Amino acid sequence: MSVLVQNLTFRYRHFALRVEHLEFESARMTSIVGPNGAGKTTFLKCLTAILPVAKGSLFIDGRDIGVMREDERARLLAYVPQEHSSIFNYTVLDFILMGRAAYLPMFSTPSVKDVEIAQEALDFVALGRYAAQPYFQLSSGERRLVLIARALAQKSDILVLDEPTSFLDPKHETEILELAKKLAAEKQKTVLVTLHNLDMAVKYSDAMVFMKQGQVVASGRPDDILDEALLERVYEIKMSIIPYDGRKFIVK
Amino acid sequence: MNGRMNNRRRQGLGVLIYFLPLLVFLLSLLIGTVRIPVKDLLKTLASPLFPSLKQSLPANALIIIFSVRIPRLLLGLAVGASLSVSGASLQALFKNPLVNEFILGISSGAAFGASLSLVFLGRSFPPQISAFVFAIAAMVIVLAIGRKSDSPTIALLLTGVIVSAFFSALLSLIEFFASPYALQALFYWLMGNLWRASWGDLAVSLPLMAAGILILILMRWRMNVLSMTDEEAKTLGINIRKEKLLVILMTAGITAAATAVAGIIGWVGLIIPHLVRMMVGVDNRKVIPMSAALGASFLMIADNITRSIASFEVPVGIFTSLIGIPFFIVLLKRSKKVWL
Repeated sequence: MSVLVQNLTFRYRHFALRVEHLEFESARMTSIVGPNGAGKTTFLKCLTAILPVAKGSLFIDGRDIGVMREDERARLLAYVPQEHSSIFNYTVLDFILMGRAAYLPMFSTPSVKDVEIAQEALDFVALGRYAAQPYFQLSSGERRLVLIARALAQKSDILVLDEPTSFLDPKHETEILELAKKLAAEKQKTVLVTLHNLDMAVKYSDAMVFMKQGQVVASGRPDDILDEALLERVYEIKMSIIPYDGRKFIVK
Repeated sequence: MNGRMNNRRRQGLGVLIYFLPLLVFLLSLLIGTVRIPVKDLLKTLASPLFPSLKQSLPANALIIIFSVRIPRLLLGLAVGASLSVSGASLQALFKNPLVNEFILGISSGAAFGASLSLVFLGRSFPPQISAFVFAIAAMVIVLAIGRKSDSPTIALLLTGVIVSAFFSALLSLIEFFASPYALQALFYWLMGNLWRASWGDLAVSLPLMAAGILILILMRWRMNVLSMTDEEAKTLGINIRKEKLLVILMTAGITAAATAVAGIIGWVGLIIPHLVRMMVGVDNRKVIPMSAALGASFLMIADNITRSIASFEVPVGIFTSLIGIPFFIVLLKRSKKVWL
């Protein structure tokens, strides 16, 4: 499924987000990068309708996100927050089961089928053995994977991840990005992710969006758009791009 | 939590908890100032079906069982279940294991509403209506003050203090205007009591409590999702405004129905859900129905104790406070970011 953004605006105190036109294609991983305060998270929160969006600015396969019911939207688009902070320590499986909420009427409980879907999602992130563990007993890297598994249980075609690799060690960072890439390539999902690590973004993304001060500065395939002038414009410091082993490395 | 029980023992315990209310109910029928032996109790219970049994019964056995003990136990059962289910539901809704209808001041709102009705509209007008209106009013104040804050736990507890104080002040005002006769009844009822149980009171409150409890039990799994942050619940596909409103109406409804007949019985809604979580974990699919069963049993037992401990009856609300407050202090000290 593809996502179309058209004349999206959102204002909050002194900050204004303004995206004129963007398209995210299915089976692609797109990373959204930019300095702190560029509006990446605000943009994701508009996409997921956590923040109110105006009619006619966001479309999934031609359907307006702004007028969808919550459950309809959740079946098309799943959001993976940076962190989860409930006070109740649910087991990992119970936690992932919550991804089925959009398919269940208010007065019902998950069926055997829902439990199977949750377990499958957990197996997909290779944490199947932790099903009965309490969520907060896991390491922060494992928790991120469980959050992704919950989004997978939503069975949506679009996955939106808000800085899924922040505060993670290089091993877990790689693991998460490999997984995101796999979801786009093998499961044909439209994957949107905000990232701070530019090298990783260049390595894993099919497309990149550079944002600054609430606006999109450049978007496209990394090979087509990435150059030193763009980096300086976005980040306001000099960076060099060094090709090595068929890849581009960014040195500050 | 350390020393978690293994699954089989947990399951056994679960089954036991669901049968406990029936067991306690039947055994409690034997307790009271007039001693009725098991044989006579069974005969009395069977007498509506076999009228010939009535002749061999001791004097007053029928009245004691059917007009005194059964309504009182039914009230204890329903109020205990109501307060526990509303406590567990509010804890999920506010994402805070330290709140319940009593701590948030909703019971005080309901008590004020019921008193207002009893003093100014008389005993014949059902106090549940006014109790419900003011329970909702209390809930609205809690939501308005405690909504946006950096430390929601403390903010919510403080909001509860404020709301309770506000309605206590209004209640004092009513007591000031009430006749000495009404005042005495009000005073005893406010302490939390099951003695007023009559079929007339039950006829209004019992169906309300049963319906509210049933709806909240039906929402038991949804309560897990509602206990996530609002952002998460929303992106998981929940219409949080609609579903929260339903939980609020139901908890206020059963709190009002319970308070209108039994006065303020505090702390049950805090103690019971915690005990259940310690036994079976935090999944509301178990916590909510089990809180109903354990809360029902707890209040019937507490009432048995308070009416047989001395030659006079101690209000059961005093008893639950004496147990609940030390319990709350322990919880508050243990209070941390993650629960269980």
